[in-house]
Amino acid sequence: MARSSGNRVPARRGVSGNVIATVAIVVLAVAVIGGILVFGGDGDGGGDGGDGGDTAGEIPAELRAGPDSNTLTEAEGDAVTIVEFLDYQCPACAAYYTNVTKQLEEDYADRVTFVTRNFPLSMHPLAQPAARAAEAAAAQGRYREMYHQLYDNYQQWAVTEDGQRVSDDEQRATTLFDSYATEIGLDLDRFHTDLASAEIQRRIDADVAAGERVGVSSTPTIYVNGEKFESSAESFDDVAAQLRDQIDEALG
Amino acid sequence: MSTTATRPARGLGWLYAVGGALGLAAAVALTLEKIATLTDPDYVPTCSLNPTISCGSVMDSDQAAAFGFPNPLIGIAAFAVVTTVGVVRLAGFAPPRWFRVGMQAGATFGVVFVHWLIAASLYDIHALCPYCMLVWAVTIPIFWYTTLDTLRAFDATRDIGDLLARAHSAVLAAWYVAIAVLVLVEFWDYWRTLF
Repeated sequence: MARSSGNRVPARRGVSGNVIATVAIVVLAVAVIGGILVFGGDGDGGGDGGDGGDTAGEIPAELRAGPDSNTLTEAEGDAVTIVEFLDYQCPACAAYYTNVTKQLEEDYADRVTFVTRNFPLSMHPLAQPAARAAEAAAAQGRYREMYHQLYDNYQQWAVTEDGQRVSDDEQRATTLFDSYATEIGLDLDRFHTDLASAEIQRRIDADVAAGERVGVSSTPTIYVNGEKFESSAESFDDVAAQLRDQIDEALG
Repeated sequence: MSTTATRPARGLGWLYAVGGALGLAAAVALTLEKIATLTDPDYVPTCSLNPTISCGSVMDSDQAAAFGFPNPLIGIAAFAVVTTVGVVRLAGFAPPRWFRVGMQAGATFGVVFVHWLIAASLYDIHALCPYCMLVWAVTIPIFWYTTLDTLRAFDATRDIGDLLARAHSAVLAAWYVAIAVLVLVEFWDYWRTLF
Protein backbone atom coordinates (compact mmCIF):
# COMPACT_ATOMS: atom_id res chain seq x y z
CA MET A 1 0.00 0.00 0.00
CA ALA A 2 1.21 3.48 -0.77
CA ARG A 3 1.61 5.13 2.57
CA SER A 4 0.80 8.83 2.59
CA SER A 5 2.16 10.81 -0.28
CA GLY A 6 1.21 14.19 1.20
CA ASN A 7 3.19 15.79 3.98
CA ARG A 8 0.56 16.00 6.70
CA VAL A 9 -1.92 13.42 5.53
CA PRO A 10 -2.44 10.82 8.26
CA ALA A 11 -0.79 7.58 7.33
CA ARG A 12 -3.92 5.54 6.85
CA ARG A 13 -4.30 2.97 4.12
CA GLY A 14 -6.70 3.74 1.33
CA VAL A 15 -7.10 7.38 2.25
CA SER A 16 -6.96 8.55 -1.34
CA GLY A 17 -9.55 6.02 -2.49
CA ASN A 18 -11.83 7.08 0.31
CA VAL A 19 -11.36 10.76 -0.43
CA ILE A 20 -12.02 10.22 -4.13
CA ALA A 21 -15.17 8.22 -3.39
CA THR A 22 -16.37 10.87 -0.92
CA VAL A 23 -15.78 13.72 -3.33
CA ALA A 24 -17.41 11.73 -6.14
CA ILE A 25 -20.53 11.05 -4.07
CA VAL A 26 -20.87 14.66 -2.99
CA VAL A 27 -20.18 16.14 -6.43
CA LEU A 28 -22.54 13.68 -8.11
CA ALA A 29 -25.31 14.38 -5.61
CA VAL A 30 -24.93 18.14 -5.89
CA ALA A 31 -24.81 17.98 -9.69
CA VAL A 32 -27.85 15.72 -10.05
CA ILE A 33 -30.00 17.41 -7.39
CA GLY A 34 -28.97 20.90 -8.43
CA GLY A 35 -29.52 20.05 -12.07
CA ILE A 36 -33.03 18.75 -11.46
CA LEU A 37 -33.92 21.69 -9.23
CA VAL A 38 -32.64 24.31 -11.65
CA PHE A 39 -33.49 22.77 -14.99
CA GLY A 40 -36.72 20.98 -14.55
CA GLY A 41 -39.44 19.43 -12.51
CA ASP A 42 -39.57 15.81 -13.56
CA GLY A 43 -37.16 13.46 -15.26
CA ASP A 44 -38.04 15.08 -18.61
CA GLY A 45 -35.88 18.10 -17.87
CA GLY A 46 -33.25 17.05 -20.37
CA GLY A 47 -35.77 16.53 -23.16
CA ASP A 48 -37.05 20.05 -22.82
CA GLY A 49 -35.98 21.28 -26.22
CA GLY A 50 -37.36 18.16 -27.88
CA ASP A 51 -40.66 18.56 -26.04
CA GLY A 52 -41.07 22.07 -27.36
CA GLY A 53 -40.50 20.85 -30.89
CA ASP A 54 -42.91 17.92 -30.61
CA THR A 55 -45.76 19.89 -29.17
CA ALA A 56 -45.38 22.91 -31.41
CA GLY A 57 -47.89 21.53 -33.88
CA GLU A 58 -50.30 19.63 -31.67
CA ILE A 59 -51.17 20.61 -28.11
CA PRO A 60 -52.55 17.65 -26.16
CA ALA A 61 -56.17 17.92 -24.99
CA GLU A 62 -54.99 17.90 -21.38
CA LEU A 63 -53.29 21.23 -22.01
CA ARG A 64 -56.13 22.90 -23.92
CA ALA A 65 -59.46 24.24 -22.75
CA GLY A 66 -62.18 21.61 -22.95
CA PRO A 67 -65.93 22.33 -23.22
CA ASP A 68 -66.41 22.00 -19.47
CA SER A 69 -63.04 23.30 -18.26
CA ASN A 70 -62.93 25.78 -15.42
CA THR A 71 -61.60 29.04 -16.73
CA LEU A 72 -60.52 32.26 -15.09
CA THR A 73 -60.38 34.21 -18.34
CA GLU A 74 -61.50 33.40 -21.85
CA ALA A 75 -60.21 34.85 -25.09
CA GLU A 76 -61.76 34.74 -28.53
CA GLY A 77 -60.34 31.97 -30.66
CA ASP A 78 -58.13 30.54 -27.92
CA ALA A 79 -54.96 32.06 -29.36
CA VAL A 80 -53.10 31.48 -26.11
CA THR A 81 -54.15 28.98 -23.50
CA ILE A 82 -52.61 28.86 -20.04
CA VAL A 83 -53.29 25.71 -18.07
CA GLU A 84 -52.43 25.63 -14.39
CA PHE A 85 -52.53 22.43 -12.41
CA LEU A 86 -53.15 23.54 -8.84
CA ASP A 87 -53.89 22.38 -5.33
CA TYR A 88 -55.90 24.88 -3.32
CA GLN A 89 -54.07 24.06 -0.09
CA CYS A 90 -50.55 24.01 -1.48
CA PRO A 91 -48.53 26.88 0.01
CA ALA A 92 -46.57 27.32 -3.22
CA CYS A 93 -49.83 27.62 -5.20
CA ALA A 94 -51.12 30.25 -2.79
CA ALA A 95 -47.83 32.13 -3.14
CA TYR A 96 -48.09 31.92 -6.93
CA TYR A 97 -51.64 33.20 -6.75
CA THR A 98 -50.73 36.19 -4.59
CA ASN A 99 -47.55 37.10 -6.42
CA VAL A 100 -48.04 35.95 -9.99
CA THR A 101 -51.33 34.68 -11.32
CA LYS A 102 -53.83 37.02 -9.66
CA GLN A 103 -52.38 40.05 -11.43
CA LEU A 104 -51.82 38.05 -14.59
CA GLU A 105 -55.49 37.13 -14.74
CA GLU A 106 -56.42 40.82 -14.62
CA ASP A 107 -53.81 42.04 -17.07
CA TYR A 108 -54.45 39.40 -19.73
CA ALA A 109 -58.19 39.14 -19.09
CA ASP A 110 -59.48 39.15 -22.67
CA ARG A 111 -56.31 38.10 -24.45
CA VAL A 112 -55.67 34.60 -23.06
CA THR A 113 -57.72 31.62 -21.95
CA PHE A 114 -56.66 30.68 -18.45
CA VAL A 115 -57.70 27.14 -17.52
CA THR A 116 -57.23 25.65 -14.07
CA ARG A 117 -57.18 21.94 -13.41
CA ASN A 118 -57.34 20.20 -10.05
CA PHE A 119 -54.24 18.45 -8.85
CA PRO A 120 -54.86 17.97 -5.12
CA LEU A 121 -51.82 16.40 -3.48
CA SER A 122 -52.26 13.80 -0.76
CA MET A 123 -49.89 15.68 1.55
CA HIS A 124 -52.49 18.47 1.88
CA PRO A 125 -55.45 17.13 3.87
CA LEU A 126 -57.88 19.88 2.81
CA ALA A 127 -56.92 19.96 -0.86
CA GLN A 128 -59.71 17.55 -1.85
CA PRO A 129 -62.49 19.31 0.12
CA ALA A 130 -61.35 22.65 -1.33
CA ALA A 131 -61.31 21.23 -4.86
CA ARG A 132 -64.86 19.92 -4.29
CA ALA A 133 -65.96 23.36 -3.08
CA ALA A 134 -64.50 24.96 -6.19
CA GLU A 135 -66.18 22.40 -8.47
CA ALA A 136 -69.48 22.73 -6.62
CA ALA A 137 -69.33 26.49 -7.23
CA ALA A 138 -68.50 25.77 -10.87
CA ALA A 139 -71.67 23.70 -11.09
CA GLN A 140 -73.56 26.92 -10.36
CA GLY A 141 -71.42 28.94 -12.77
CA ARG A 142 -69.38 30.64 -10.07
CA TYR A 143 -66.07 28.84 -10.35
CA ARG A 144 -63.98 31.94 -10.74
CA GLU A 145 -65.52 33.57 -7.68
CA MET A 146 -64.89 30.52 -5.51
CA TYR A 147 -61.33 30.21 -6.81
CA HIS A 148 -60.72 33.77 -5.62
CA GLN A 149 -62.44 33.16 -2.29
CA LEU A 150 -60.29 30.08 -1.65
CA TYR A 151 -56.99 31.75 -2.42
CA ASP A 152 -57.81 35.18 -1.03
CA ASN A 153 -58.80 33.54 2.25
CA TYR A 154 -56.04 30.93 2.21
CA GLN A 155 -54.78 31.98 5.65
CA GLN A 156 -58.26 31.42 7.11
CA TRP A 157 -58.97 27.86 6.05
CA ALA A 158 -55.77 26.29 4.73
CA VAL A 159 -53.27 26.81 7.53
CA THR A 160 -53.42 26.22 11.26
CA GLU A 161 -54.24 29.15 13.47
CA ASP A 162 -50.59 29.74 14.34
CA GLY A 163 -49.89 29.86 10.58
CA GLN A 164 -47.17 27.26 10.91
CA ARG A 165 -48.45 24.34 8.87
CA VAL A 166 -51.21 23.20 6.58
CA SER A 167 -54.41 22.67 8.49
CA ASP A 168 -56.27 19.37 8.70
CA ASP A 169 -59.32 20.89 10.35
CA GLU A 170 -61.95 19.88 7.81
CA GLN A 171 -64.83 21.03 9.97
CA ARG A 172 -63.51 24.57 10.20
CA ALA A 173 -62.74 24.59 6.47
CA THR A 174 -66.23 23.32 5.57
CA THR A 175 -67.85 26.06 7.66
CA LEU A 176 -65.68 28.65 5.96
CA PHE A 177 -66.44 27.22 2.50
CA ASP A 178 -70.15 27.68 3.31
CA SER A 179 -69.51 31.31 4.17
CA TYR A 180 -67.64 31.81 0.89
CA ALA A 181 -70.48 30.14 -0.99
CA THR A 182 -72.95 32.53 0.66
CA GLU A 183 -70.66 35.44 -0.10
CA ILE A 184 -70.61 34.71 -3.84
CA GLY A 185 -74.35 34.09 -3.93
CA LEU A 186 -74.55 30.33 -4.31
CA ASP A 187 -77.64 28.30 -3.54
CA LEU A 188 -76.35 26.72 -0.34
CA ASP A 189 -78.55 23.62 -0.48
CA ARG A 190 -77.46 22.83 -3.98
CA PHE A 191 -73.84 23.59 -2.99
CA HIS A 192 -74.05 20.93 -0.26
CA THR A 193 -75.60 18.37 -2.58
CA ASP A 194 -72.93 19.01 -5.20
CA LEU A 195 -70.11 18.85 -2.66
CA ALA A 196 -70.94 15.24 -1.97
CA SER A 197 -71.80 14.27 -5.52
CA ALA A 198 -69.98 11.61 -7.49
CA GLU A 199 -69.97 13.88 -10.54
CA ILE A 200 -67.84 16.48 -8.73
CA GLN A 201 -65.41 13.79 -7.62
CA ARG A 202 -65.28 12.44 -11.17
CA ARG A 203 -64.34 15.89 -12.49
CA ILE A 204 -61.51 16.20 -9.96
CA ASP A 205 -60.24 12.70 -10.69
CA ALA A 206 -60.32 13.41 -14.42
CA ASP A 207 -58.15 16.50 -13.92
CA VAL A 208 -55.67 14.53 -11.81
CA ALA A 209 -55.54 11.79 -14.45
CA ALA A 210 -54.95 14.43 -17.15
CA GLY A 211 -52.14 15.91 -15.10
CA GLU A 212 -50.54 12.53 -14.60
CA ARG A 213 -50.73 11.82 -18.33
CA VAL A 214 -48.72 14.92 -19.15
CA GLY A 215 -46.25 14.30 -16.32
CA VAL A 216 -47.36 16.76 -13.67
CA SER A 217 -45.79 15.78 -10.37
CA SER A 218 -45.97 18.93 -8.29
CA THR A 219 -48.06 22.05 -7.99
CA PRO A 220 -48.36 24.61 -9.32
CA THR A 221 -47.44 23.40 -12.81
CA ILE A 222 -48.26 25.87 -15.56
CA TYR A 223 -48.39 25.32 -19.32
CA VAL A 224 -48.54 28.06 -21.94
CA ASN A 225 -49.89 26.66 -25.22
CA GLY A 226 -48.79 23.20 -24.17
CA GLU A 227 -45.31 24.26 -23.21
CA LYS A 228 -44.38 23.84 -19.58
CA PHE A 229 -43.43 27.03 -17.79
CA GLU A 230 -40.16 26.47 -15.97
CA SER A 231 -38.79 29.31 -13.96
CA SER A 232 -35.21 29.81 -12.99
CA ALA A 233 -36.07 32.98 -11.08
CA GLU A 234 -35.31 33.52 -7.43
CA SER A 235 -38.06 36.00 -6.64
CA PHE A 236 -41.73 35.98 -7.47
CA ASP A 237 -41.35 39.26 -9.31
CA ASP A 238 -38.91 37.54 -11.65
CA VAL A 239 -41.16 34.49 -11.95
CA ALA A 240 -44.02 36.78 -12.96
CA ALA A 241 -41.82 38.58 -15.48
CA GLN A 242 -40.66 35.30 -17.02
CA LEU A 243 -44.20 33.95 -17.27
CA ARG A 244 -45.35 37.19 -18.91
CA ASP A 245 -42.49 36.95 -21.39
CA GLN A 246 -43.53 33.42 -22.31
CA ILE A 247 -47.16 34.50 -22.72
CA ASP A 248 -46.21 37.60 -24.73
CA GLU A 249 -44.10 35.45 -26.99
CA ALA A 250 -47.03 33.09 -27.56
CA LEU A 251 -49.29 36.07 -28.26
CA GLY A 252 -46.77 37.16 -30.91
CA MET B 1 4.25 4.87 17.62
CA SER B 2 1.19 2.92 16.66
CA THR B 3 -0.38 5.48 14.39
CA THR B 4 -3.41 3.36 13.58
CA ALA B 5 -4.41 3.29 17.23
CA THR B 6 -3.88 6.90 18.24
CA ARG B 7 -4.96 8.71 15.08
CA PRO B 8 -8.58 7.58 14.92
CA ALA B 9 -8.84 7.91 18.68
CA ARG B 10 -7.94 11.60 18.54
CA GLY B 11 -10.23 12.10 15.57
CA LEU B 12 -13.06 10.50 17.49
CA GLY B 13 -12.25 12.74 20.47
CA TRP B 14 -12.67 15.81 18.31
CA LEU B 15 -15.84 14.43 16.73
CA TYR B 16 -17.35 13.75 20.16
CA ALA B 17 -16.31 17.16 21.49
CA VAL B 18 -17.50 19.23 18.53
CA GLY B 19 -20.43 17.06 17.46
CA GLY B 20 -21.56 16.68 21.05
CA ALA B 21 -21.36 20.43 21.61
CA LEU B 22 -23.43 21.13 18.48
CA GLY B 23 -26.00 18.50 19.47
CA LEU B 24 -26.10 19.92 22.97
CA ALA B 25 -26.63 23.44 21.62
CA ALA B 26 -29.50 22.20 19.42
CA ALA B 27 -31.09 20.29 22.31
CA VAL B 28 -30.82 23.33 24.60
CA ALA B 29 -32.33 25.57 21.89
CA LEU B 30 -35.23 23.16 21.40
CA THR B 31 -35.82 22.94 25.14
CA LEU B 32 -35.86 26.74 25.47
CA GLU B 33 -38.26 27.02 22.53
CA LYS B 34 -40.46 24.38 24.13
CA ILE B 35 -40.50 26.26 27.43
CA ALA B 36 -41.29 29.50 25.60
CA THR B 37 -44.25 27.90 23.81
CA LEU B 38 -45.53 26.46 27.07
CA THR B 39 -45.31 29.84 28.81
CA ASP B 40 -46.94 31.74 25.97
CA PRO B 41 -49.29 29.75 23.71
CA ASP B 42 -49.02 32.45 21.02
CA TYR B 43 -45.23 32.28 20.93
CA VAL B 44 -43.86 31.47 17.49
CA PRO B 45 -40.53 29.62 17.72
CA THR B 46 -37.58 31.37 16.12
CA CYS B 47 -37.04 28.42 13.84
CA SER B 48 -40.58 28.43 12.44
CA LEU B 49 -40.20 30.28 9.19
CA ASN B 50 -43.10 28.84 7.17
CA PRO B 51 -45.23 25.70 7.06
CA THR B 52 -42.33 23.62 5.75
CA ILE B 53 -39.46 24.97 7.84
CA SER B 54 -41.14 24.81 11.20
CA CYS B 55 -40.06 23.55 14.56
CA GLY B 56 -43.43 24.57 16.02
CA SER B 57 -45.33 21.78 14.31
CA VAL B 58 -42.53 19.31 14.94
CA MET B 59 -42.29 20.17 18.66
CA ASP B 60 -46.05 19.90 19.07
CA SER B 61 -46.21 16.43 17.52
CA ASP B 62 -46.67 13.23 19.51
CA GLN B 63 -43.28 12.00 18.33
CA ALA B 64 -41.58 15.01 19.97
CA ALA B 65 -42.20 13.40 23.34
CA ALA B 66 -41.55 9.79 22.41
CA PHE B 67 -41.08 8.68 26.01
CA GLY B 68 -43.69 10.93 27.57
CA PHE B 69 -41.40 13.93 28.05
CA PRO B 70 -39.82 16.25 25.48
CA ASN B 71 -37.09 14.53 23.46
CA PRO B 72 -34.57 17.40 23.76
CA LEU B 73 -34.18 16.53 27.44
CA ILE B 74 -32.64 13.23 26.30
CA GLY B 75 -30.43 15.27 23.98
CA ILE B 76 -29.22 17.53 26.75
CA ALA B 77 -28.18 14.59 28.89
CA ALA B 78 -26.75 12.45 26.09
CA PHE B 79 -24.89 15.12 24.15
CA ALA B 80 -23.35 16.44 27.38
CA VAL B 81 -21.92 12.96 27.95
CA VAL B 82 -20.69 12.74 24.35
CA THR B 83 -18.97 16.12 24.67
CA THR B 84 -17.35 15.14 27.97
CA VAL B 85 -16.09 11.84 26.61
CA GLY B 86 -14.67 13.73 23.64
CA VAL B 87 -12.80 16.10 25.87
CA VAL B 88 -11.39 13.38 28.12
CA ARG B 89 -10.33 11.39 25.06
CA LEU B 90 -8.52 14.48 23.80
CA ALA B 91 -6.94 14.79 27.23
CA GLY B 92 -5.38 11.40 26.72
CA PHE B 93 -7.88 8.96 28.17
CA ALA B 94 -7.73 5.61 26.36
CA PRO B 95 -11.09 4.01 27.09
CA PRO B 96 -11.23 0.30 27.96
CA ARG B 97 -13.42 -1.92 25.82
CA TRP B 98 -16.38 -1.97 28.18
CA PHE B 99 -16.44 1.83 27.99
CA ARG B 100 -16.46 1.74 24.18
CA VAL B 101 -19.28 -0.78 24.25
CA GLY B 102 -21.23 1.64 26.43
CA MET B 103 -20.65 4.47 23.96
CA GLN B 104 -21.66 2.10 21.17
CA ALA B 105 -24.93 1.26 22.92
CA GLY B 106 -25.71 4.93 23.43
CA ALA B 107 -24.78 5.91 19.89
CA THR B 108 -26.83 3.05 18.47
CA PHE B 109 -29.87 4.08 20.46
CA GLY B 110 -29.29 7.66 19.28
CA VAL B 111 -29.02 6.80 15.60
CA VAL B 112 -32.08 4.55 15.62
CA PHE B 113 -34.08 7.17 17.48
CA VAL B 114 -32.95 9.92 15.10
CA HIS B 115 -33.98 7.90 12.03
CA TRP B 116 -37.36 7.24 13.55
CA LEU B 117 -37.67 10.99 14.05
CA ILE B 118 -36.55 11.67 10.48
CA ALA B 119 -39.27 9.35 9.20
CA ALA B 120 -41.82 11.07 11.45
CA SER B 121 -40.72 14.51 10.31
CA LEU B 122 -40.87 13.64 6.62
CA TYR B 123 -43.85 11.33 6.35
CA ASP B 124 -46.05 12.15 9.31
CA ILE B 125 -45.53 15.75 10.39
CA HIS B 126 -44.55 17.03 6.93
CA ALA B 127 -42.28 19.72 8.32
CA LEU B 128 -38.59 20.26 8.88
CA CYS B 129 -37.20 21.62 12.11
CA PRO B 130 -33.74 23.17 11.71
CA TYR B 131 -32.49 22.38 15.24
CA CYS B 132 -33.69 18.80 14.90
CA MET B 133 -31.85 18.52 11.59
CA LEU B 134 -28.67 19.63 13.31
CA VAL B 135 -29.18 16.74 15.73
CA TRP B 136 -29.66 14.36 12.78
CA ALA B 137 -26.48 15.73 11.21
CA VAL B 138 -24.28 15.13 14.26
CA THR B 139 -25.80 11.86 15.46
CA ILE B 140 -25.05 10.04 12.22
CA PRO B 141 -21.26 10.61 12.22
CA ILE B 142 -21.09 10.04 15.98
CA PHE B 143 -22.70 6.64 15.47
CA TRP B 144 -20.67 5.77 12.41
CA TYR B 145 -17.25 6.64 13.83
CA THR B 146 -18.12 5.08 17.19
CA THR B 147 -18.98 1.88 15.35
CA LEU B 148 -15.67 1.92 13.48
CA ASP B 149 -13.85 2.51 16.75
CA THR B 150 -15.69 -0.31 18.51
CA LEU B 151 -15.15 -2.76 15.65
CA ARG B 152 -11.43 -2.04 15.68
CA ALA B 153 -11.19 -2.43 19.44
CA PHE B 154 -11.96 -6.15 19.28
CA ASP B 155 -9.75 -8.75 17.62
CA ALA B 156 -12.68 -10.58 16.09
CA THR B 157 -13.99 -7.54 14.28
CA ARG B 158 -10.77 -5.61 13.67
CA ASP B 159 -10.49 -6.66 10.02
CA ILE B 160 -13.98 -5.59 9.10
CA GLY B 161 -13.47 -2.39 11.06
CA ASP B 162 -10.30 -1.64 9.13
CA LEU B 163 -12.05 -2.42 5.87
CA LEU B 164 -14.97 -0.11 6.61
CA ALA B 165 -12.59 2.58 7.87
CA ARG B 166 -10.99 2.69 4.46
CA ALA B 167 -14.24 4.16 3.12
CA HIS B 168 -15.14 6.03 6.30
CA SER B 169 -16.04 9.40 4.81
CA ALA B 170 -17.49 7.89 1.62
CA VAL B 171 -20.01 5.93 3.70
CA LEU B 172 -20.82 9.04 5.71
CA ALA B 173 -21.26 11.11 2.53
CA ALA B 174 -23.53 8.46 1.00
CA TRP B 175 -25.56 8.39 4.21
CA TYR B 176 -26.02 12.18 4.19
CA VAL B 177 -26.87 12.16 0.49
CA ALA B 178 -29.51 9.47 1.00
CA ILE B 179 -31.23 11.56 3.66
CA ALA B 180 -30.88 14.76 1.65
CA VAL B 181 -32.55 13.03 -1.31
CA LEU B 182 -35.44 11.83 0.87
CA VAL B 183 -35.90 15.36 2.21
CA LEU B 184 -35.76 16.87 -1.28
CA VAL B 185 -38.23 14.40 -2.73
CA GLU B 186 -40.71 14.73 0.11
CA PHE B 187 -40.71 18.53 0.07
CA TRP B 188 -40.33 18.92 -3.67
CA ASP B 189 -43.20 21.45 -3.89
CA TYR B 190 -41.41 23.63 -1.41
CA TRP B 191 -37.92 23.51 -2.91
CA ARG B 192 -39.41 24.23 -6.33
CA THR B 193 -40.63 27.60 -5.10
CA LEU B 194 -37.10 28.56 -4.07
CA PHE B 195 -35.65 28.20 -7.55
